Amino acid sequence: MTATTPVDRTGRLVFSAWSAVSPYGIGGDAFAAGVVAGRDATTELDQETYPGPYPRAGLVPEFTAAGALGRKGTRTMDRVTAIAVSAVGQVIESCGPELLAEPDRVGLVLGTGSGSVQSIMDFTKDSLTGVKPYHVDPALFPNTVMNRAAGQSAIWHGIKGPNTTIAGGALTGLLALSYATRLYRGGHCDRALLGAAEEYSVQRAWLEWHGRTGDGAAPALGEGGAVFLLEPSADARSAGRTPLATVLATRFRAFGDPADARQAVADCVRAALTQAGASAADVRLVAPAGGEFEAAEDGGVTDALDGGTPEFVRCGQLFGDTSAAGASFQLAAVLAKGGGGIALVTGVDRDGTVGCAVLELAG
Amino acid sequence: MHEERQSPRRVVITGLGVVTSIGIGVTEFLAGLRAGRSGVKPITSFDTTGFAHANGAEIDEFDPADWLERADAAELGRASQFSAAAARMAVADAGLSLDEVRGRRALVSVGTTDAESRDLDNLIGVQVEHGPERLDPVIARRSTAGRLSSSIVRELGLTDVEAVTIPTACAAGNYAIGYGFDAIRDGDVDVSLCGGADAVCRKTFTGFYRLGTIAPEVCQPFERDRKGILTGEGAGILVMESLDSALARGARIYAEVLGYGLNCDANHPVAPDRDSLARCIELAHRNAGVKPEDIDFISAHGTGTKANDVTESGAIRQVFDAPPPTISIKGMLGHTMGAASALASAACALAIKEGFIPPTINHTETDPECGVDCVPNVAREADLDVVQNNALAFAGNNAVLILGRYRDAG
Repeated sequence: MTATTPVDRTGRLVFSAWSAVSPYGIGGDAFAAGVVAGRDATTELDQETYPGPYPRAGLVPEFTAAGALGRKGTRTMDRVTAIAVSAVGQVIESCGPELLAEPDRVGLVLGTGSGSVQSIMDFTKDSLTGVKPYHVDPALFPNTVMNRAAGQSAIWHGIKGPNTTIAGGALTGLLALSYATRLYRGGHCDRALLGAAEEYSVQRAWLEWHGRTGDGAAPALGEGGAVFLLEPSADARSAGRTPLATVLATRFRAFGDPADARQAVADCVRAALTQAGASAADVRLVAPAGGEFEAAEDGGVTDALDGGTPEFVRCGQLFGDTSAAGASFQLAAVLAKGGGGIALVTGVDRDGTVGCAVLELAG
Repeated sequence: MHEERQSPRRVVITGLGVVTSIGIGVTEFLAGLRAGRSGVKPITSFDTTGFAHANGAEIDEFDPADWLERADAAELGRASQFSAAAARMAVADAGLSLDEVRGRRALVSVGTTDAESRDLDNLIGVQVEHGPERLDPVIARRSTAGRLSSSIVRELGLTDVEAVTIPTACAAGNYAIGYGFDAIRDGDVDVSLCGGADAVCRKTFTGFYRLGTIAPEVCQPFERDRKGILTGEGAGILVMESLDSALARGARIYAEVLGYGLNCDANHPVAPDRDSLARCIELAHRNAGVKPEDIDFISAHGTGTKANDVTESGAIRQVFDAPPPTISIKGMLGHTMGAASALASAACALAIKEGFIPPTINHTETDPECGVDCVPNVAREADLDVVQNNALAFAGNNAVLILGRYRDAG
C-alpha cells in the first residue's frame, strides 16, 4: 500500500480487540470473568513436574503447545512461544481476515523477560554435560534467542510488518504500548498487535527465587500472555470493531534510591495525566503492578490522585507474579472491568524504573 | 525545558560511545576501522575444550571500573557493563554534562540478542555442579534483559526517562536506534541514547557451531570461500537529538538520521529471505526520502556465512541497478550480535564525518555470486552523503537505517 495522501498519524489510538492466555484459561472472556470475580487462580504445584522453591503458581490450565496449536510445527516450540502464538492467534481469530489483509502494514510488538530462561539454560546445560560440547539439538537453538516468541508468532500467523521484542521487567507491557504507538506515528505500520508473554518454568522459578529481595516467602509466580489490537478508532469502526478504550498517554520515569520510588510514581502519574488532558479526579480505576514496591507505588498513585478514591484492581494477587507479562495483564484487567471513565495502569520495576498508561474506557 | 513541539523534527547524531574488540572509545574505534584492525583471537571467556576451533572477537582490555562512576560493576552483567560504559562515553563525546542530560526528557533503548546470557551460562554451570539452591542471588537478579537499558539510567542518574531493551536479536541495534529517532522526530523526547550490547557466551557460540556456521579462523564476508561467522562482543550507544537542539548548543554533528525501515519475512526461523529484505531496503529508502542512486555505500549485515552474504547481495542487486560499495565490518569485529548494527551505525556516522569507507578485511577473492565491491582490506577515502546500514535477524527481522551527511539547508 502506498498512500497517495499523507495520513494524519498524530491522533489518539484505541484498543479495539484483545485476548489473553492466562491462569483463568484461554481467551479474554475467561480472563475477564476471573478478574471481575476476583477469583484466586493459583494452584498447588505438582512437585514432580515443577520441583523448586515455590509451592503454588498461576499456571495456564492444561496448556501445551501441541494442545493449543496442534501437533504440526509445535514439536520444538517452547512454552512461552506457544503462549504468545496462541494469544496473538486469539486476537486474529476474533477480528477475522480483514485484520491481516495487508500483512506488511501490521506490526507485532511483544514483551518478554529474557525469552525462555528454561530454553536458554537447558541448551547450555546440554553443551556442558554432553560427550562433546556441541552435542546440542540445533532445532532448539532459535528458542534460546529472545525474539523467538515474536518471530514465531509472525511466522505462524503471517504478520509481515515490524516485529519487535520489548523487555523492561515489570514495565514491559507499558513499554510495548509506548513502542507500538510510536511505530504507528512513525508510519511504520497502520495497526499493531502488542502485548507480552511469560512462561512458568522450574528455571525461571529458581532465578526469581534467588533474585527476590528480603528473606520472606516470595509471592507465587504466574504465567500467560495478553495481546491487544491498537489502531485508529476510524479504522476500528470501519472494520466493524467497537473501540474498547482510547490510549491517552504513556509515561515513564526512574529513581536511583528506593526511597525516591514513591515520588517517581507520583511525578510519572501527574505527567501522564497532564499529557492525557485528564484530571486526577477523573480516574475511576487503577491497576497497579504490586509486588516488591507496592507501598511506594500505592503511595505515589495516592499522592498524584490528590484525594481521589478510584477502585483498585490487583491482578498479581489473583494469579501470581507474571513478571514481563504483568503490565499487559493489568491493561487487560482494566479492559475487562470496563465501564467508562479514566483508567490508570502503573508499574514499578526493581531496576529503578516506573511507568504508567492512562486509558479512557468506552462507556 | 522542552522545545516547541514541532514535528517532524530533523534528528542528528552528536555523540558516540563504543566498546569493541578493535578499540574502546571513538578515537581507537575510528583508528581501527581505518586501519582494518582485527579483534579476532582464541576465545577465553569460557572453556572451549572439545570444539575443533574456537576463535572469537572478545574484548580483553575492558575494565568497567575505568568507565563506570555511579553503577556498581558487580551488580551489572557483562553486557550491561558494556552498555553503561558506552553510554557514559557517548554523553561525554556529545559534549553534554550530566546535568544537561538529566535536565532533558530522554529515551534509552538498547538492542540485544543475548542480554545477560553470559550470566545464565555461568548460573547453569553452577547449577549442574552444585544444584539450583546454590545460585548467586546477585547474578540471578542482574541476569534479566531489562538491565541493559536500566543500567544506563542508573549510571547516568537519569529520572525523566523511558528505558527499554529491544531483544530483536541480530538486528536489534538498528531497531533501537530507529526507536530513538522516532521519539525525537515526534518531539516526545529531547535526547535519545540508543544502540546495542552483547557479550560473548557459550550458548550462542555453541548454537552457531552446531549449525556449522562458525568459521575456523577468520570471518571473510563476501569471500568466494567464506566459512562463516565468528562471535564477538561489545556495545555501541549513539546520542541523538533534534537538529535545532544540536545547533543551539553548538554540538558537533556526525550525521543526520534520515529514516529507517523494518519488516519481517514471516517465513523461516533462521534463513533470510531475499525478496523480503529487498522490500525492507525499499521501505527504508522511501521513509528516508532517498533513491538507490543516492546511497554512497552500504554497510551490510555481511556475516560471512554462505547463506547470508549471497541472499543479502541478491537483495541489494534487486534494489540497485548498480550497487554502491558494500562492506562488512564483521571481519574486524566478528558478529557482535545485538550490538552489531549499532556499532555499524557508529562506523557509518564516523565514515560520513571523516570521509572514508571502512574495509572488508580478510579478503582475497570476491564471490561472483555476491558480486559486490566490498572495499577489500584497505579503507577507501570517499566523500559520502548518504549511507545505508543493513541488519538481519533470526525469525526474518530486517532493519535498514539510512544516515546522511548533515548539510545546512541554507
